[in-house]
Amino acid sequence: MDEKTRDDLLKLFRSKLNEAMRLYLETCTRCGICVEACHAYASMGQVRYIAAYRHEIVRRIYKKYFKARGKAWPSVGESKELNEMALRELYDAAYSCTGCRRCMVYCPFGIDTQMLMSIAKLLLVGAHAEPEILTMLADMSIERGRSLDLFKESFLTGIKNLEAEVVKKWRMEAGGTAIPVDVEGADLLYVALAGAHSIIPAAVVFNAAKERWTLSFFEAVNFGAFVGDPTRTQLILERIVNEAKRLKVKEVCICECGTAYRVMKQLSGKQPFEVSSITEAHARYLREGRIQLDKSKLKDPVTYHDPCQLARNAGVIEQPRFVLSQLTDDFREMAPDVRYNWCCGGGGGLVALGEDNLDFRMKSVKVKVDQVKQTGAKILATACENCHTQLSDLNKHYNMGVEVRFLSSMVADALVQ
Amino acid sequence: METVYYIILVPMVYVAFAIFFVGTIARLVKIFREPKNPTTLQIFPEKEPKWLLALYDTFLLPTVTREKPVFWAFLMLFHVSLLLLIIGHLELFKKFKVFQVIPHEVFLGKGFVGLILSVCLLFFLLRRFKSPYRELSVPEDYYLLILLFLTVLFGSQMDWARRWYGYELLAAEDYRAYLVSLLYLKPKLSSAITTSGHSFMMVLHVFFANLFLMFFPFSQLMHSFLSLPMNKLRRG
Repeated sequence: MDEKTRDDLLKLFRSKLNEAMRLYLETCTRCGICVEACHAYASMGQVRYIAAYRHEIVRRIYKKYFKARGKAWPSVGESKELNEMALRELYDAAYSCTGCRRCMVYCPFGIDTQMLMSIAKLLLVGAHAEPEILTMLADMSIERGRSLDLFKESFLTGIKNLEAEVVKKWRMEAGGTAIPVDVEGADLLYVALAGAHSIIPAAVVFNAAKERWTLSFFEAVNFGAFVGDPTRTQLILERIVNEAKRLKVKEVCICECGTAYRVMKQLSGKQPFEVSSITEAHARYLREGRIQLDKSKLKDPVTYHDPCQLARNAGVIEQPRFVLSQLTDDFREMAPDVRYNWCCGGGGGLVALGEDNLDFRMKSVKVKVDQVKQTGAKILATACENCHTQLSDLNKHYNMGVEVRFLSSMVADALVQ
Repeated sequence: METVYYIILVPMVYVAFAIFFVGTIARLVKIFREPKNPTTLQIFPEKEPKWLLALYDTFLLPTVTREKPVFWAFLMLFHVSLLLLIIGHLELFKKFKVFQVIPHEVFLGKGFVGLILSVCLLFFLLRRFKSPYRELSVPEDYYLLILLFLTVLFGSQMDWARRWYGYELLAAEDYRAYLVSLLYLKPKLSSAITTSGHSFMMVLHVFFANLFLMFFPFSQLMHSFLSLPMNKLRRG
């Protein structure tokens, strides 16, 4: 690595140093209470997956370049030079971490591993050593925001084709649009993912609840956040914020995508609209009596996997349970509770890497599989696209014999006409 | 030898305390002048009152109780003893009425505070020789534990000698005279301090304590000040 590259990377490192990050970098005592916290360590037993070990990979570079000690007495903290090898270590640490923040619950100081890994991810982006697919997908999202007119026609045609299926599930009053798009003055802007499964059940429920809604042109997923690039994250986020402002909606409702929800909820700042997840919206409709569900639709016992970004990291915990209580009488809670819930192993962009890391994704969450099995449930519900994909992969790999389902589609299927 | 004693007991103490105070404050200022994180970093479900719960997390370490109860017991014993030890040292400057709520002879704890600390420190140190803690540790962690162990051991020796073995030549009054003279910037070393049989214990105790203080601001020991704000971040 040449001098110039290193300087540029260290500038990126510096850009991440705010108060919280300094605290996280300065404070670890390497006490090892976090040892059992990571699902990858609990499943595979390799030291490199322990939270404190991951931290130290970033911290050693910090000690070298941002602390006087790194020059005066480098060996005391084993500070390390930033070079090609260091980048490889950073990659291994960051892309085996799902950012679930379970370890943060264990740590006596509350060190946020996801934050520290965001330094690693940004350095990798700076060195063009990140998983290319994530940057590519992020850039595609940004491009879509910039030249919407190019995509508009094909998008609208695609949506038109879905409307018949929505109507099949919920009959509309004459003259109503099954999937409204670009409606100024609507109450709610629904941001879905690219895929009928994310649009149809949501549309069915919105129509049943007589919501004045409109579908966003953009997909909710934020690949900028997965790849750990703050600029791209912000650009992807802004497309939706701008659309919401243009349409003057009161609420932006995010589909079943944990990261998209957390980014929108926590990163969009003060806006003239509220941010909700679709699960929250469904719970609200049920409470207000705007929709009713038929419990006889689900015969088998159900358990629910809390998506880390939605539950532990954003507080959507009670709502899915309320929705489930309206769907079934045989709901089985996973143990341990939501703060200590095991990650599915698909977060942090890991699922998006597909086959490349399938082996690791399967081996690293043996504990999750056991946790699901313990409930004895036959239906495994969740409210996050990545979790759904990962849990489906696990179901196949470990022959778990469960049916993995989106909570929203369970609601749509159980609607009382 | 006398010169060495003098250097350790007088100028080095001043230097150590200067580094400790200036270093710690400088480090804290540097950290807390950085901009705040734009998003919340809390863990859910959230509970109120957040400040009180952050204090609870910081001082009672509830997550450790759940995961590693034995380690938790040692951590609590260690930190409580450390607090008693600091109080004990303050009483070597002056008699504080507050501390004498439960009447006791200076130094606090009849020698057991030091003993508990030594045992805890040995436990912490030996623990780090074992995998996976060995792989997580860096030299700093060992240096600090060894340094603190030596400080505590030599310090406790003086206490134990008086308490348990009837050694009378070096008493709390002698330490008080020495410490107060340092405080008023008129350092005076009595012959009890420099020439009695246990002087070398005293000198070694002060020497290691000096090193410890000088290392403090630059090490993970800053967790003593940073733990509370970090726990507050987690509580939201």
